[in-house]
Amino acid sequence: MSFFVLKRVTAMLLTLFFASIIIFGFIHVIPGDPIYVMLGDTATPEQAEKVRHSLGLDQPIIVQYLQWARRALTGDLGRSIFYQAPVLEAIADGAETSILLASITMVWVLLIGVPIGMIAAMRHGSWLDQTLSGAAMLLASVPTFWVGLYFILIFAAWLGWLPSSGYPSIFDEGGIANLRYLLLPSLTLAAPNAALILRLTRASMLDVSREDFVRTARAKGIRPWRVTTRHIFRNALLAVVSAFGFTFAALLSEAVVTETVFALPGIGRLVVQSILNRDYPVIQGIVLVVVVIYLVVNLIVDISYGLLDPRVEMQ
Amino acid sequence: MTSWMRQIMRGAAAAAMALILVSSANAAGTLRYAAVSEPAPLDVMLTTATVTLTIGMHVFEGLYTMDAHNEAQPMLAEGETLSDGGKTIVITLRKGVHFHNGKEMTSDDVVASLTRWAKYGVRGKLLFTEGATVAASGPYEITITLPEPNGAWKNLLGQLEGGGAIYPSEIASKATETPIEQVDYIGTGPYKFSDWRPNRYVELVRFDGYNARDDASDGYAGKRVANFDTIRFIPVPDVGTRVSGIQAGDYDYAETISGDLYDQLSGDPSVVVRKSGAPLFGLFFMNSKAGIFKDNYPLRRAVQEALGKDAALRVSFGPEALWNAQGSLFPEGNFWHSDAGVDAYNTHDAAKAKEMAVAAGYDGTPIRLLTSTNYQTHFDQATVFVKQLAEAGINVQMIVVDWATLLKMRAEPEQWDIFVTHHGVAPDPILMTFLNDGYPGWWASPEITALKKEFTSTADLDKRKAVWDKIQALFYEQVPAIKVGDGYAYDLMSPKLEGMGPSMFWPTFWNASFKP
Repeated sequence: MSFFVLKRVTAMLLTLFFASIIIFGFIHVIPGDPIYVMLGDTATPEQAEKVRHSLGLDQPIIVQYLQWARRALTGDLGRSIFYQAPVLEAIADGAETSILLASITMVWVLLIGVPIGMIAAMRHGSWLDQTLSGAAMLLASVPTFWVGLYFILIFAAWLGWLPSSGYPSIFDEGGIANLRYLLLPSLTLAAPNAALILRLTRASMLDVSREDFVRTARAKGIRPWRVTTRHIFRNALLAVVSAFGFTFAALLSEAVVTETVFALPGIGRLVVQSILNRDYPVIQGIVLVVVVIYLVVNLIVDISYGLLDPRVEMQ
Repeated sequence: MTSWMRQIMRGAAAAAMALILVSSANAAGTLRYAAVSEPAPLDVMLTTATVTLTIGMHVFEGLYTMDAHNEAQPMLAEGETLSDGGKTIVITLRKGVHFHNGKEMTSDDVVASLTRWAKYGVRGKLLFTEGATVAASGPYEITITLPEPNGAWKNLLGQLEGGGAIYPSEIASKATETPIEQVDYIGTGPYKFSDWRPNRYVELVRFDGYNARDDASDGYAGKRVANFDTIRFIPVPDVGTRVSGIQAGDYDYAETISGDLYDQLSGDPSVVVRKSGAPLFGLFFMNSKAGIFKDNYPLRRAVQEALGKDAALRVSFGPEALWNAQGSLFPEGNFWHSDAGVDAYNTHDAAKAKEMAVAAGYDGTPIRLLTSTNYQTHFDQATVFVKQLAEAGINVQMIVVDWATLLKMRAEPEQWDIFVTHHGVAPDPILMTFLNDGYPGWWASPEITALKKEFTSTADLDKRKAVWDKIQALFYEQVPAIKVGDGYAYDLMSPKLEGMGPSMFWPTFWNASFKP
């Protein structure tokens, strides 16, 4: 077990190293620079050159990378050119929103996707299955910005039940009640993801239910409900759990459309805004953090495989 | 299923309850402004970025500012005397003006600020040309000495955008070409900087030590009273969310709403439509330094001849209430409005343009037009023009990039023939970008250089206006850029907001308040 973890961690660090080079290289290959965005339309080339020099952006790319990597190793991701604040601070602030949003969304996904997927599988071929699967396809296909804008229109502008947009931190005034700001965004984000998990649960339960051991279990006279939960569901869970891990990691970084529609201060929007501004330290910092998250989630998923399925040996 | 729905309903009811409880708590005195994006650092001397100035206007002040008629009026200045044919300007300062750090403003602060602006500010060099100086001539008096008279001096000092804002001397004297830090966002304005949380908000709070002017409010000039405890500038990038947010009461003011919603929102009682008082106009710059248009004025005029501006404006702005196809570089009612040369503004004659292009030696070489998608109006207008030019046999190849890339590319003369941007109404014509020969486009023909010299060397307004007419005529003859037409942005505000004053370019919230 410990050797397995060690091996995975080593591979993870290597991946991280190559990823950091790719991140740095790619960002600096995009044309454009932060200087004119910051100074506005009328800055002269001389002014721009001065600012570029004072930010160290006129140095060779290798030198910039080494300086950045050295600081990053000590946990210092540099300073944002635009926010004039440490990158880590900006990421931490965005991470609160993103992690909470992703977690609440996962709760919806879990509550909606898995049970309905089970029901659809148990009644597969019936009108109930057809209806549920059809609804899931519809939810998975509707773009999130459309769902989001309609949620805002109905629940904020017309009914006035929920705030339209924004998210004040739970550490600010309002405390835990501020989570209501995340209700509409999480439902918006949950819709396509729950639909996918539903389809996946249904499909992998159907796969498993055709296995020999299920027939054997049934032949032994075990009650149908027990067969479903203990034999089929537990085995079908493997595929669902790995999808869960990736969905969660993806939600952290890919919620950008939802974050934009709901004006949420999350990581996705921070990275898009920073790309438009060419705020290099922030982009590099976020991508690095997201890569680390993906790797860690991956690791957790791998380990939990072993716990769920004794056949997966951890060597 | 039914128990599920019951649970959802119960959750929604609980959330609604929480909303009611919390919203009554945060209502008192916080203005929530939905902005299109986040600002650049709030060092207003160094930037002309729009959101930055919308915020900066409340924090920083200059010696002068513009009134509702676009004329410069004293703000931190008390008055001025000119001597030596306008080459020596003595400005007296108001007493009892305090910075947000509690220090009283004196001539030291003004000299340090103008010195920093002269050296690094976006527009400092327009006033402080080679040999110009600024010095304290008393605790509340400064003297500016210019090598040549500059008729635009007061307008230049009255523009905060990239302008001479007054910072405390200890901040201004150490400031360089990089933006000052957040702790140094200290001005004399009615609101002071409080907090900046990435993608959440920039927060200003009322400055209790503000010493307002006595004269009546007029445009940005005159008395400023801060009625709100707090103003939050919240980035809300999606226009649909800005609109719904105002309707839902989550924001009090939302900027830059799209034209297609104008008619619908104009009749909506839950919002108030506020049209900008000053137009923005698209400018298609011609490359005077390199490429096909270099020194080829006839070809530029052929391009100009082919274009019909109404179609481009309709596509990019929507309802006619939001645009005006007129060729003067200043709108009607403005002192600088002029009809010189405007006959060439909106001709849309493909056949004649074709003849003119052939006569100018055009052989079908593709013309590279650089535009960005960050500004939808730019892209829309470019698309219409490309089609109109094709009808005149002029072959245009669009290069579509994002704004940051465009800013980089346009600085390189070999990369493009036309690039698209927009321009606002400047307080003085000398601030127009195409008159700056360092600005991409690089219009520096002997004719315009001579006219510019003539234009700034006198302070006599009537003489300056006569020269301006000649400059506008030359604009249509040498075509350094093509004006698309005046477009009016509009904002939305909550019906409970009052005291906003006449619509200028930047929305400002001193003197405004919530209805009781």
